[in-house]
Amino acid sequence: MRDRLAVMAASACGVLLVVQYFVNADWLQASYRLLLSWMQAIFAFALVVGVLAVIRDRIARAGRTTEERVNAVVMVGAALVISLLGFVGGTGRESPFQWAFVHLQAPMQTTVFSLLAFYVATAAYRGFRARTIESGVLVVAALIVLLGRVPIGEWLTPVLPGGADWILNTPALAAKRAILIGIGLGMAATSLRVIAGIERTYLGGR
Amino acid sequence: MNLETSITALLTLAIYSFLAGDNPIYRFAEHLLVGLTLGYSLVITVSSIIMPEVISPLATGEWQAAFPLLLGSMMFLRLVPRARGWSQIPMAIIIGCGAGLALPAMLKARVVQQLGATIEGVGSVDGILILIGVATTLVYFIFTRRDSGAAGFTSRIGRVFMMVFFGATFAYTVMSRMTLLIGRLEFLLGDWLGLLG
Amino acid sequence: MNERSLIFLALAGIVSAALLLRPGLPIGVTDSAHEVFELIESLDSGDVVMISFDHEASSLPEVGPLGAAIADHCFRKRINVVGLALFAEGTAAGYELLTERAGGAGARYGDDWIYLGFRPQYTAAILGMGESIPDVFAADYRGTEIGTLPLGRRVLDYNDIDLVVSVADGSMPTYWVEYAQARYGQKIVAALSAVMVTSFTPYLEAGQLAGILPGLRGAAAYEQLLNSPGAGSRGMDAISGAHVLLALLVVAGNIQLWRSRRRRRNP
Repeated sequence: MRDRLAVMAASACGVLLVVQYFVNADWLQASYRLLLSWMQAIFAFALVVGVLAVIRDRIARAGRTTEERVNAVVMVGAALVISLLGFVGGTGRESPFQWAFVHLQAPMQTTVFSLLAFYVATAAYRGFRARTIESGVLVVAALIVLLGRVPIGEWLTPVLPGGADWILNTPALAAKRAILIGIGLGMAATSLRVIAGIERTYLGGR
Repeated sequence: MNLETSITALLTLAIYSFLAGDNPIYRFAEHLLVGLTLGYSLVITVSSIIMPEVISPLATGEWQAAFPLLLGSMMFLRLVPRARGWSQIPMAIIIGCGAGLALPAMLKARVVQQLGATIEGVGSVDGILILIGVATTLVYFIFTRRDSGAAGFTSRIGRVFMMVFFGATFAYTVMSRMTLLIGRLEFLLGDWLGLLG
Repeated sequence: MNERSLIFLALAGIVSAALLLRPGLPIGVTDSAHEVFELIESLDSGDVVMISFDHEASSLPEVGPLGAAIADHCFRKRINVVGLALFAEGTAAGYELLTERAGGAGARYGDDWIYLGFRPQYTAAILGMGESIPDVFAADYRGTEIGTLPLGRRVLDYNDIDLVVSVADGSMPTYWVEYAQARYGQKIVAALSAVMVTSFTPYLEAGQLAGILPGLRGAAAYEQLLNSPGAGSRGMDAISGAHVLLALLVVAGNIQLWRSRRRRRNP
């Protein structure tokens, strides 16, 4: 009964929003705006639920070793402290919340992703090998764009930036366009399946 | 080299310690980051949307805000094992709305307009090459039996276009990651150690 | 010391050396930067540019200079700026950036620029703003009712926005194209993390995007056009060094492959 209600809700919303794209009626436009505002609110609550679920899960899993317990305390503690700072002190530019974002969170997050630079370098040496003609094409394209897109390549010879431009705007564009078209068709098919009530994986596999 | 810069620098170095292998210092910094990110998301979401768009209107008598509040509150049932199924209803509304909005948009922007641009561009050599690339790459994706014959030959050409795309994407990925590294080293050498002048 | 450690050290070394020594390679202006520059240059004082900070904190070294260059150009031309974020982390980053750039240009909050804040459901936000911006953002990031701000009263929907710039490190510009451009005809520019560039050239070529500003190189080129070198320009020597190292590593790896094949053929 509950699942049927959920599927009907999904189908009804889907049909209404497809119809309103083509039909210009006042009640349709009003329903459209209402659903957009509901989507926003529901999604916001979903985000809050997600955060609480991660915290709850981390507390439940902590306890095997001292280090794990300490790290769990650090994680939950940091979440609580930042939340308090944000709710009590506000999110203004001079607030402790903003300070923590600028001096702690953002730099740490950037550093984590910058680790990939080192692993990309080792991958370039170990993994980028022209074992076949096709992989040779990949390697040559990568080399041209690597050098053609930075000042040293532009300084060495205009052939490199010209080659990089052509690769980006012709063969690479063609392949990506085909991928986009394929994904577009696939997503349209999935949307139709959701609206028709055939696709029900959002019910948790039931 | 002031206190707040030093704190940021030490946390940066704690994360870079991962390059020498997974270690307790890195794991501490990682957990701190996850906690900060969770708290940040909670504050931004509640103060930007839930309070001003749902709670405040309801508090001033706008009864229409009760519906999104009810639907949003049903999401919390996801945390209660026996009542978790009821959270599927607001989730279904989001999924259904998303599907209804995406269907015409996807078809127009990703399929019709892209196909149109491909065909319109056929006036030049590059345009013809793009048409060949799009067609052959689509054959590569769509045909499951492409080991021989026309489909096999065509999809092999499509693979070559894909290899060029992957090579270019790799180069741009390198640029992206290197930029992040440059940013952090610039901070350590300049803001923290004062070596960059 | 193993191969991996040598590569790590070489990379850190070459980037640090480039930052310290600053060889000063010439920075040319790219076509893409020129196109975006001309788009904003063609706007008049009082026109409105919406800058959407659609990125995470992790990509700040890359998209930060892009956002800063665009914001500087707008404030310099007295173009009004409406900021918002469709990623949670972009919210604080975007607010910090716009406050700093506006302060430097003497732009006044409420009159010359406003910051709407964050909306998590990007489809609903992008489409909703096409119908009514005050319906999507009843109050700004500071909690002030939109209708009480002079600029807030002027921007009611996309008809009042001359250009949207999505400062992004992921696929968000795709949704701006699919929903704002395709349905409402809104002009969109993508100021992108370099890793996403190859994904968006089809949209640019089809005219669905009005321009792309790619990565740190794009920021450096834009700074040249503004005659105001910043973080983008500062990183160009280092990125050149890093790319040369990567190219040499690719070549070295392939030489090793070729040599090992020769050894197997002629034992």
